[in-house]
Amino acid sequence: MITLKDINKTYFGAVPLHVLKGINMHVDKGELVAIMGASGSGKSTLLNILGILDNYDSGEYYLDGTLIKNLSENRAAEYRNRMIGFVFQSFNLINYKNALENVALPLFYQGVGRRKRNALAMEQLERMGLADRAHHLPGELSGGQKQRVAIARAMITNPSIILADEPTGALDSHTSQDVMQLFRDLNRDMGKTIVIVTHDPGVGRQCNRIIRISDGRIITPDTDIRPTDSSDNNTISCTCV
Amino acid sequence: MSHNKLRTALTGLSVAWGIFMLITLVSVASGITSGFKENMASQSSQKMMLWSGVTTKPYHGYREGRSIQLKPADMTTLEAEHPEQVKQATAVISGQVTNFTAGANSVSTFYQGVKPVEEELSNIKINRGRFINDNDMARKTKVMVLPDDYARQLFPPDGEKAVGSRVNVGDISFIVVGKYNGKWMRNVYIPYTTAQALSEDQEYIGSMTLVLKNVDNTEQADRLEKGVRKSMAKAHDFSPEDESGVWIWNAISQSLTARTGINILNIGVWVLGLLTLLSGIIGISNIMFVSVRERTHEIGIRRAIGAKPHKILTQILAESIAITTLFGYIGILLGVALTELLTRLFGEFIPDARVDLSIAAQVTVVLIIAGALAGLFPALKALKVKPVEALRDE
Repeated sequence: MITLKDINKTYFGAVPLHVLKGINMHVDKGELVAIMGASGSGKSTLLNILGILDNYDSGEYYLDGTLIKNLSENRAAEYRNRMIGFVFQSFNLINYKNALENVALPLFYQGVGRRKRNALAMEQLERMGLADRAHHLPGELSGGQKQRVAIARAMITNPSIILADEPTGALDSHTSQDVMQLFRDLNRDMGKTIVIVTHDPGVGRQCNRIIRISDGRIITPDTDIRPTDSSDNNTISCTCV
Repeated sequence: MSHNKLRTALTGLSVAWGIFMLITLVSVASGITSGFKENMASQSSQKMMLWSGVTTKPYHGYREGRSIQLKPADMTTLEAEHPEQVKQATAVISGQVTNFTAGANSVSTFYQGVKPVEEELSNIKINRGRFINDNDMARKTKVMVLPDDYARQLFPPDGEKAVGSRVNVGDISFIVVGKYNGKWMRNVYIPYTTAQALSEDQEYIGSMTLVLKNVDNTEQADRLEKGVRKSMAKAHDFSPEDESGVWIWNAISQSLTARTGINILNIGVWVLGLLTLLSGIIGISNIMFVSVRERTHEIGIRRAIGAKPHKILTQILAESIAITTLFGYIGILLGVALTELLTRLFGEFIPDARVDLSIAAQVTVVLIIAGALAGLFPALKALKVKPVEALRDE
């Protein structure tokens, strides 16, 4: 699903900063992967490149078989819209639009009619258990509810991958578990490919695989740490009902 | 935009004010123009008038202060000497004030002996019968043309029976052959030749009118004026440099100058109005800049979830045009109200200082262009926002 070959990225400021130094990685369809690293390790830059929000200097990035390189703004926007669902730490909902309108927004940019996109958005919200909050503004929702609205928005275009940037960073531990459980359900039940960037080991443990990044290099290319079924799943099953 | 209603409303007011000024100025100017045109149309501008004068320069042994009298022969002279421009020379012979009677009714007035061309010169609107014609001129018939007003007084109640009836002027009987719509004038017209025959001592004429052709600009009109003065100077033996020997009124030059004046007035009014509007446009542009800055984050989100650049551009332009047009129309409404009021109060001087459809259409176009201009630069700035940076900005 995702293949990176020798990706390099340098920021040219007052002092040139070589952020990514030859990243090679591969994510299969249906994986739930965590990218972990300390701040300044380059993981946010990597996520931006994966999300086609930023471009890279050399190497190759294939997303779902398509080479993503030197795209025009229009193509990049189109790929982001159709292939990628974003979930952010700070939710990034538009605060003067209600939950339903927020979820429907990506479809607006695909030119889907209002009636149809609202129906599809309602379907997503129902799946997130937020049907009764559809007409509330983000300010009237709790953190967990906001993140679920954001996940619904990421899901509505049925993207190839979901990219989540510290999705639990702004949530308390209880709500974090709910949100992680939601990701696991999406991964298991719907076969969604999900990449989560985090520095929280608890979050990392709930993913199928952890890719560690440090100083612009991947240090554990193929470490496959499946969470031990006993401890983690138990915690989750009791916290989320 | 909707988050800060007060700011938007205050800035919008400046657009409303600009449009209000523009529409009021343009309407009043067009009212003045059309009032002026109506006035000018009541008299043909293709003419030149001459009056008897008094010399102010000594010439050929004559002293200054000699009075020059136009004679009927001068008409033939001018027609012969300027055949290219003078279609016809004509004059008016006025009779004495007497009683005009029809049965028991009478009015006290005087006749004017005129040539058929007078109908065109004074823009006379015949509403029954006919005007003086060449046949009347040749046969010196005793016919007359009455204004509506006198027709009503002589043949009450409505003057409809006037045409074909007889009117006595002193002891001479005339047949009324036509009546006209006399809004500005109440002249009783009879044939020039008839008037000439009635006043035996017609050695002089007070004034003369030249009907012109092929005179299209001020230069030609001024050249003709000089030529006419020269001809008269030769005929009456005064200095061709002496402007008061014969007074000449050059209607063409005047109407051309007036037309230029009207054009300048119109341009000036638009410039003033647009400048006033400009301050409003700058205001709108300014709040659009602020709004784009406040919404950098939102624009970043929209870009991340797949908004193409032109979508962002059109959204901001649409917002700007919507605000400008909304407040612009408030301005138009106020302008319409004021000009209606002006028309009620000063309708005589500015007959239709109303906002007509073409002004409204022009102003709408101005508004849309203004809104697009106000939104363009902020929108271009919004496009430069990179989604990554916008998202980071929290």
